[in-house]
Amino acid sequence: MYGSQGDGGASLFSGGGFMPSQATQTPDSSFSKSRGAQGVLPLTVKQISEAYHSNDDKSNFVVDGVDASNVRLRGLVMNKVEKVTDVTFTLDDGTGRIEVHRWVNETSDTNEMALIQNGMYVTINGSLKGFQGKKHVVAFSVRPVIDFNEITLHFIECIHVHLENTRPKVLGGIPAQVQANPISGTVTPTRTPVSNQFSSRSSSSGSETDVYKLVLDVFQEPPNLAREHGLHVEEVARRLGLPVEKIKDAIDYHVDVGHIYSTIDDNHYKSACNG
Amino acid sequence: MDTSSPAVFVNAELLKMYQGRRVRVVVQVMRNEGGLIVGQSTDGHQLTVKVSQAFPLSHFVEVIGIADGNQSIRAEICTDFGDTFDTLAYNELCQLANGKFKNLFL
Repeated sequence: MYGSQGDGGASLFSGGGFMPSQATQTPDSSFSKSRGAQGVLPLTVKQISEAYHSNDDKSNFVVDGVDASNVRLRGLVMNKVEKVTDVTFTLDDGTGRIEVHRWVNETSDTNEMALIQNGMYVTINGSLKGFQGKKHVVAFSVRPVIDFNEITLHFIECIHVHLENTRPKVLGGIPAQVQANPISGTVTPTRTPVSNQFSSRSSSSGSETDVYKLVLDVFQEPPNLAREHGLHVEEVARRLGLPVEKIKDAIDYHVDVGHIYSTIDDNHYKSACNG
Repeated sequence: MDTSSPAVFVNAELLKMYQGRRVRVVVQVMRNEGGLIVGQSTDGHQLTVKVSQAFPLSHFVEVIGIADGNQSIRAEICTDFGDTFDTLAYNELCQLANGKFKNLFL
């Protein structure tokens, strides 16, 4: 929603610079950038430790299915070592420690790094790199934290962006479901045509997204919408042939976002839509 | 890269679950005694921090250290967070970081 408008605005206000570090300062741009290809991701070191290499030529890292080339971290500086052309230190953000390199080619870089001391909280913006199986960050900006509420904010943003990136794109799918219902959601109990349709969809992308989608599909079927108490969790599990735990996860998610609600007890749910 | 000794976000309630482990907590300084700080956690309970530094009264201090008692921490690193800090937000973060989103932290 804020998209490139927000970034363009931020660049203008910060003096027309094309410095990525300035453009990524505002919380708005970091939220919107989480959806872009070259966006900045606020991450914890723990998340980085679990990032993997994407399969394409760019050899970028991927976190929650999103390109994690540009990252933002916040933590304590340790073991700072200053050399002629670069400064290295370890960043400890409470979830882990990672090495950070900062090339110092100009006096502005040197001045920036001179302010940084061991034991200080800093914000790092940089690229995630891998070398000999280990990951480290090449920072293009290292700034001291002034307002310590930023620490709370950073971790909340990590959670927010994680949630955004792992959220299945169900909203876009609902209209399609309503149209598809007359085809698949017939009253007759023949399950074969319905399950074929579901399985062909699930083969195309990741598993969790599809489980959420499948579960919502079941609740949205006209015969199920008509049922006063909705469906029992186990009915949905049997219908989809999936473990009850997975169904419960999907149901929790849908209740959180308001797609379904519980009826007579914690095991019965019904779609909040009118079909 | 090393994720072997994370510090868990805790408040007084959660501290009890992480005895002997590395934790991080924010307290508001109520008084300094020799070798100790007594402070109020973000969820309104009293905690004791074993540290040889003293901090200004009513400042918020982040303590990273080992939980060594139901209401006590042996500090490794203390950072003065100043006199304004959003304790509600931090408290909520503690719940999230130990609940649904624990995998992003520990």
